Amino acid sequence: MNRTLDSSPQVWFGIIVTTCLLLVLFQTVLWLVLPLLLAVVAYYILSPLVNMAMAHGLTRARAVLIVTVLLSIVLVCIGWSIAPKISMAIHEGPDKVKDYIKTGEDLYRKAEKTLSARLPFLHHATPPSLPHPLGAVSITAEAASAPPEDLVTSEVNNFTDKHSGDIALELAKWIPSLLLVPYLTYFFLLDGPRFKRFLVQAIPNAFFEKTLYLFYRVEDQVRRYFQGLLALTALDATCLGVGLWFLGLNAPFFLATVAAVLAWLPYLGSIGGGLLVVLVAAHDAPNNPWLPYEVVGLFIAVRLLDDFVFLPMTVGRSLQMHPLVTVLMILLGGAVAGIAGLLLVMPVLGVVMVAGQIIGELIADERIRARHRHAKELRRLRARAGLYPEE
Amino acid sequence: MFFGPKAPHDQRLKLLKDVVLFKDLSMRDLKMVNNLMHERRYLADEVIFDEGEEGQGLFLVLSGRVKISLPASQDKVVVEFGPGAFFGEVALLDQSVRTAQARAVDDSLILALFRTEFYSLLKTQSAIASSISFQLARVLAARMRQTVLLTGQHHEAS
Repeated sequence: MNRTLDSSPQVWFGIIVTTCLLLVLFQTVLWLVLPLLLAVVAYYILSPLVNMAMAHGLTRARAVLIVTVLLSIVLVCIGWSIAPKISMAIHEGPDKVKDYIKTGEDLYRKAEKTLSARLPFLHHATPPSLPHPLGAVSITAEAASAPPEDLVTSEVNNFTDKHSGDIALELAKWIPSLLLVPYLTYFFLLDGPRFKRFLVQAIPNAFFEKTLYLFYRVEDQVRRYFQGLLALTALDATCLGVGLWFLGLNAPFFLATVAAVLAWLPYLGSIGGGLLVVLVAAHDAPNNPWLPYEVVGLFIAVRLLDDFVFLPMTVGRSLQMHPLVTVLMILLGGAVAGIAGLLLVMPVLGVVMVAGQIIGELIADERIRARHRHAKELRRLRARAGLYPEE
Repeated sequence: MFFGPKAPHDQRLKLLKDVVLFKDLSMRDLKMVNNLMHERRYLADEVIFDEGEEGQGLFLVLSGRVKISLPASQDKVVVEFGPGAFFGEVALLDQSVRTAQARAVDDSLILALFRTEFYSLLKTQSAIASSISFQLARVLAARMRQTVLLTGQHHEAS
């Protein structure tokens, strides 16, 4: 399966254009693409369990049913145990957000003061304006007359009061989409192989073996990508969790898992996850001013470990892609389809790359095309048989 | 189900039961193997696979006839297979290229079992896959013996 395929510049041009077009398309139907993606991840997590059950003599239908029922029980138990905490978090959400943002502001000011004290030349530099944590918001006349510290706080309060309902509604809109995930996963597990055979029926005989090889390559690529991503997430979460536990943070493994999952979004996710944990550290340990900096140090260390050790071991190996191509495609994905593009570019590129290389091979193979023309001619002659008296 | 098999299920299972590779399998096991196979229809004179192509699996004749020939040596027919026979079995074991061409002599109904699917069977249903592997090894040994005998006779004659 690890055969190296030669690709011409035309094929690579086609791969990049197709990837960009797919990303633009996927961005418009993100409500469907996201549950599909999550269902594929769930499929690759659960399919070894289904295979294990089948190895014990169960039919696929029974194995899938048992795995699904067990998973549902586990999810219901987890939901039951965390529901009160989620309810409390929703209830206290806006106040908590204000608290964390206030902590962030304080941290920024303290860092600025410390730097100014240690590096005197910064006194002469124009102090940078504090970026608004919630982007551009309109400033009311009352707020404009307030001192700068109060101005930011009052704007944060205004924003959270005005938009917390909108944010909750936006999140609620995703609930029907996310409910599709278990449904899709169940049918992927149950009918995946049959659906694949159904698709294969549409392939002409001449291309049959090569195209089936393409199917396996694509499936192998997707499986290895998602398994690599899950392994990377587990490694990141473990390293961060141990580090945060060592630094004495509350709920270290929960925070580490959230940060590791956020890192699925290239660049932005890592920064967002790091920022979240730094804010929690600053908020929960106000008497330890060095803790946020220690957390930043931990994140940088894990990031380096991630980029130079874990990533090449997991996702990088699975996609067998040049690092330069990876970075350029991530930037291109972000440019054409925003955050959705950043999230989807690697799996989409992985699949399009394999498909493009094999389609390129099929098109370039004169012998296979001649075989296909021969088979078509045989079918045409068969269809014409007896229609014309002279034949 | 809209993507079910094209040939009647029971008829196909009966035909599979007569194939030497699957002779030790129960009906339940046979159904599992049947679910892994791809059904293809070839017209008379249509090429099934070509010499020099990378093989992906074995083909099994359900109906019709298939000839194996070497296009390089003036289309010399090496062997002809009828219902119940299989060919291209080496591709089930490795990723080597096909050494001959397979072409349908009559309109033929063929089943294909691919290497990756056979490997997945080895992982999930090792008893079934072992039984098939054992029968496959016996057939390969018999064919090798036959080839050695034929080569010996050829040398004696020359």
